[in-house]
Amino acid sequence: MNSLLHVAAREMKIGFRNPWAYSFMALFTLFMLSLLLINAQGYVKGYSGVSGTMLNLVLYLLPLMTLMLGSFSLTSEKEEGNWELLSTYPLGTGAFLTGKYIGLAVVLLAIVALGFGVSGTAGWLLGEGFEFLTYIRLLIFSVCLSLLFLGIAMLVGTAARNRWQALTMAVSLWFFAIIAWPPILIATLGMLPYGWIKPAVTALTFLNPAELTRLFTVVKLGGGSTLGPEYYDWIIWIRGPWGTPVFLAIALVWVGIALAIAYLMWERGRGRD
Amino acid sequence: MITRRVKVCLGIMLLCLFIAHTGTVHAEHKKADLQRLLDQASPGETVILKSGTYDGPLLINKPLHLKAEDGAEVILLNSTAQPALTIEADQVTVTGLRIVDVSVKEEPSILLKGNQAMLDRLHIQTGAAGIMVRDANDGKIMRTTIEWAADGVRMADKGNGIDLYNSHRMHLQDNAIYDVHDGIYMENSDAALVTGNRFERSRYGVHCMYTKGTVIQNNTGNLNITGAMIMNVQQVTMEGNTFAKQSENVNSQGIFLYNASGSVITDNRVEGNRVGLYVEQSADNRLDRNEVSSNFIGLQLINAASNTVEGNLFLGNVVDAQARGSESNDLSGNYWDSFSGIDTDGDGRSDIAYTINPFFQGLTQKRPPFQLFFQSPGMVFLEGLYQTERDKWATDRSPLMAPPKDSLSEDRKQAGSGTGVAGIILLAGTGSLFYGMRRRKT
Repeated sequence: MNSLLHVAAREMKIGFRNPWAYSFMALFTLFMLSLLLINAQGYVKGYSGVSGTMLNLVLYLLPLMTLMLGSFSLTSEKEEGNWELLSTYPLGTGAFLTGKYIGLAVVLLAIVALGFGVSGTAGWLLGEGFEFLTYIRLLIFSVCLSLLFLGIAMLVGTAARNRWQALTMAVSLWFFAIIAWPPILIATLGMLPYGWIKPAVTALTFLNPAELTRLFTVVKLGGGSTLGPEYYDWIIWIRGPWGTPVFLAIALVWVGIALAIAYLMWERGRGRD
Repeated sequence: MITRRVKVCLGIMLLCLFIAHTGTVHAEHKKADLQRLLDQASPGETVILKSGTYDGPLLINKPLHLKAEDGAEVILLNSTAQPALTIEADQVTVTGLRIVDVSVKEEPSILLKGNQAMLDRLHIQTGAAGIMVRDANDGKIMRTTIEWAADGVRMADKGNGIDLYNSHRMHLQDNAIYDVHDGIYMENSDAALVTGNRFERSRYGVHCMYTKGTVIQNNTGNLNITGAMIMNVQQVTMEGNTFAKQSENVNSQGIFLYNASGSVITDNRVEGNRVGLYVEQSADNRLDRNEVSSNFIGLQLINAASNTVEGNLFLGNVVDAQARGSESNDLSGNYWDSFSGIDTDGDGRSDIAYTINPFFQGLTQKRPPFQLFFQSPGMVFLEGLYQTERDKWATDRSPLMAPPKDSLSEDRKQAGSGTGVAGIILLAGTGSLFYGMRRRKT
């Protein structure tokens, strides 16, 4: 436990000195301010044209940012020989990876918080700000999205030998999860018998954190009826008292599984070295 | 005449006193007495009721004016399976009564079968239909509140607020109808004037079935499944209505036209609905100058032909328009805020057309489960790639470059201070984190 905290603290220290983190922070803050401008053009309450656009823009930027920051942090440990040094200490892989995850999560959440903080405050001062509930839902959406994608980033960082490999993997995973997801699902599931499509789409949605968080947020913003009669029961359920806790539990399980797989891969690598 | 009226009043007053002293045992008497009063009254007479509770059911079978005394609280309580009030004669006026008829039953609270009736300022709490009008023409129902009052009944099993069948030229004005099945249901009833009514939390606000020449003006509907359901109609006019927040149900719409023809839908405001204007299998209608804002889908055209859609304002909808099988409509001069046009000749209209991509509609019609991808980033990307047979898409030939100035309703809400406080907390949090993490000089 102690070593875990040490790793997390070290990661935070490195993270807050990492120029990458600051450039992403600047990018995200700029981005949130531009969302504020978009917001100022129209009425935003619940799921509307503007909040839909904001959701999609966050979906483009935040996962890619997370994947890159997270995976680079792990590969740099390998490339710069820090891991070999750390291996000489009595430090378990589990504590190492969890510590890294926590440290990186703090850095990422700081980036998200700064972006939201600046745009929330600026909007309030300018009198053209976000509606409170929509703002909070977007914030929760961004936090969940980064935490879930950080899980994937840990996997990518474990699998990649160096930064270049990590970059390639991160970008392809991002493309797959954000852009290619509907086309691929439509193409492959379209061949299934009709009755299988809905269960298949539902099950696969749980595998894609981007879709999972997006749908949860759309329903919470009140746009559940856009998803059509097929998912009516789901929508009612998500809006019910158990929707949020169960979603959070799923997110926890998701991150847990990602870290567990990373752990197993890292352990195998450790044996080989 | 006057002495007679006074006598009636005195009689009822005495009766009230009597009842007050002897409890409910004599309710039967009172019922019999009010009915007897009505039976004894001569045609054309005005019967004024003092404050008090009277038992139904009541039958009016001659022209009468039944009226609550000014400022009096007159309650007609019905616990039988019959209508609380049945009107069989022509030219009956009923004013100012409160009707409490909460048992769930087949018969309506008021059954109107006479012509030229006038129902004014009633308050009906019903467990059935509010006012059922059958084969009665030229009546007026005004300033009446109808609300559902029985617990634990599914929406599909509730009755309608005002239900017209084969009743023409009815005038329904300034009524408020809550929590019923359909607010106003009109079947085979032509040339009704429906104006200034309010519908909330019901299945449909206004529902037309096989009607002709209905005029629906300045009504308001909130939180119904569908605001106005206009089905199988001809020459219906809808203007100046506002339908907002019909968004909870997967079949929600602001205004729904199905198999409508020759109708005019103009100057309405539909806001925050699942679909603002939904037009299916309808032809030769005009949809003009409507303000369609903050809906999930602004305009949906499904197998609709030769309708004119002109000068409407589409603002802040998640998707401005979807269309399928609707290429022969005449769309022009609408403002679509998601579209940026090019205007080289400076006439305020774009030289490039606004086209409605049918990809998502076509996909989800064949395979509804893919509706889950509604506006997901990948789906937006895929729609952009789909460009087949563009000439068959529904197209606005000359969309407006800017919204017409007079049409924008200015009700911008102020930014909540909650957002500002949350923003400052977040800033302070990250600020102190940076401070704690700064490089320390050693």
